[in-house]
Amino acid sequence: MSLVLLALVLAVSTPVPVSGAELVADGAAYDGELVVVEGELVGDYGRRGDGTVWTQLNDDPYVYEPVAEGGPLRGGNVGIGVRIPAELAEDLDPPGGYRIRGPVVRLTGTWRYHDPARGGESYLDVVALEVVEPGRTVPKPLHPVALVVGVLLLVVAFGLWRSYVAERDRL
Amino acid sequence: MLLRPDVDDFRAIAFYLGRIFLVVAFAGVLPLLWASLGREWGPFASFLLMIGVYAVAGTAMIRVAPREQRLDWGHGMVVVAVTWLVVPAIGAIPFLLSDHWGGPLDAYFDAMSGLTTTGLSVVQDLDHLAPSLNFWRHLLHFLGGQGIVIAALVLFAGGGATTLYYGEARDDLVLPSVRSTARFIWSAAVVHLAVGLVVLGTIAWVVLGFDWKRSLFHALMILFAAFDTGGFSPQSTSIAYYHSAVFELGVAVFMLAGALSFGVHFALWRGNRRELFRNLELRTIIATFVVTMTITMIGLAAYGVYGELTGLTRQGFFQILSAHSGTGFSTVPAAELARWGGLAFGGMALAMALGGMSSSTAGGVKALRVGLTIRAITDEIRAVLLPHGAVVDRTYFQYRPRRLTDGLAATVMSSSLLYVALYLVGAGAGIAYGYPLEAALFESISAGANVGLSVGITGAGMPVGLQIVYLLQMWLGRLEFVAVFAFAGFLWSIVAGR
Repeated sequence: MSLVLLALVLAVSTPVPVSGAELVADGAAYDGELVVVEGELVGDYGRRGDGTVWTQLNDDPYVYEPVAEGGPLRGGNVGIGVRIPAELAEDLDPPGGYRIRGPVVRLTGTWRYHDPARGGESYLDVVALEVVEPGRTVPKPLHPVALVVGVLLLVVAFGLWRSYVAERDRL
Repeated sequence: MLLRPDVDDFRAIAFYLGRIFLVVAFAGVLPLLWASLGREWGPFASFLLMIGVYAVAGTAMIRVAPREQRLDWGHGMVVVAVTWLVVPAIGAIPFLLSDHWGGPLDAYFDAMSGLTTTGLSVVQDLDHLAPSLNFWRHLLHFLGGQGIVIAALVLFAGGGATTLYYGEARDDLVLPSVRSTARFIWSAAVVHLAVGLVVLGTIAWVVLGFDWKRSLFHALMILFAAFDTGGFSPQSTSIAYYHSAVFELGVAVFMLAGALSFGVHFALWRGNRRELFRNLELRTIIATFVVTMTITMIGLAAYGVYGELTGLTRQGFFQILSAHSGTGFSTVPAAELARWGGLAFGGMALAMALGGMSSSTAGGVKALRVGLTIRAITDEIRAVLLPHGAVVDRTYFQYRPRRLTDGLAATVMSSSLLYVALYLVGAGAGIAYGYPLEAALFESISAGANVGLSVGITGAGMPVGLQIVYLLQMWLGRLEFVAVFAFAGFLWSIVAGR
């Protein structure tokens, strides 16, 4: 069904390549247009009863250079909401989050800006999904120094508490 | 003559500060447990370090003053002001070690924003942040909104309860004693959290289709921020992440509950419905909400931001409730909010500036001051219009009949003017850094009224000077000036006292 829909949509129009930042900054300019946008799926896959999956597509520097892998900090995330037909989202890797770089996908769909049918929400109504890079786990530092110093401080605090209790009882 | 504080003064302050730090150390165990359950060992180590610092600071201070100290008004105010400066400084340690904040100032900014229930944030790559760190961000909202000093009062009875209670910008006692009032405030919060966890968790699971663990996670984070009118959210797109009118409605209920004073909560709990119709502050906030929402809706309609009524109503209502309650959640991106010019901007800015009710978790001028200011002005006009010698009835109802004295009117107007000055100073700083007037004013009000909505000025890489101004605004706005002024006076007395 979705393939038929995709074929029909692509037959009548060519998707416009666009970035997530452009959609966030000036969503009205792309309202109703067929666009293609690439990024990482993050957060959750909200599998709803109407046969759609809602999630977030991030198109920011962290997609290809996760901080945990040495990538620099480059500001906040840039994300858009996406609605994907459930059959397209069946085999996706877990969405991005802590220790997980989610699947990087190329999404084709209609950008709906202030959609009257959804109470003014803005989102990408996806008709085609292509996995560019599968998701993967990323390492996270352990901070052993913080661990050791923390334990030492707790020992000191315990000693001070004992000393306080003894002094209080003496008074 | 200004007296220089002596050793006993410092001991009295240290005694209470030490207790409060220990309470926060115990609160820090919660994210530590969360991190260990989630096997988030990096955050686990950073939480352990944070707890250690709180614990050493707390025990060292109570060791200095082993016997309970007498706490006078000035000491209490200093305790509160210092608490709200130092607790976020230590609480920022896990942020700093997480690689998601640009440096110590950024980490401190977010910890202060969390504790003061502001919700402005300079976090980077939030969508990959550890859940335990997200929990700590939101728990700071809860600790700050409910009042960390009040938490200490619940746990430790002490002679300084009254001054600490008022120092944390609380007004009337709901129950006869400070301790019983503090217990009621925390009980009300726990009940709301429990009910909200079931309601929002069920919506997230059944309607949004999240798995049950993530449903509970989102429900808990959003509840902390909604009931404590904070504004942090676990995902970068705030409430827009959920794409659900039902979820937004659930969130709106808890934002509203957070903006109500604990006195109103108490009246509702006791089934005292008459209070709802007579309470000056409640009537004022309903009126200002209707006015600001009408202004915003007209502005949005005039600019054609939303093509039809459902979008206009849903988005306008949520944004204005978020602004007026001081929560700071949003369902539209900052870049889009920045384009809400004209009346829509005016309505939002006014709603943020006015804020919620006194003795609630909200910030801003507060509805009680607004109501009393309007009442004082109308009384003056009536006095002029009535025949010479006629007596104007100056009573108003706020849990009981009270009299609006000239002294009270002057105090209320002074406080309101201080808020206006706070907003203008922040706006001036924004303009000095090159931002347009509207954006600078919006962001300044958001910081000073502890709201958290942003038109894009606040963020990673913002000017350091402006960041410090917003930090001070958050601190001053949350403590409603008095404790901060008393602290400044205390510092001056150290320098200039004899």
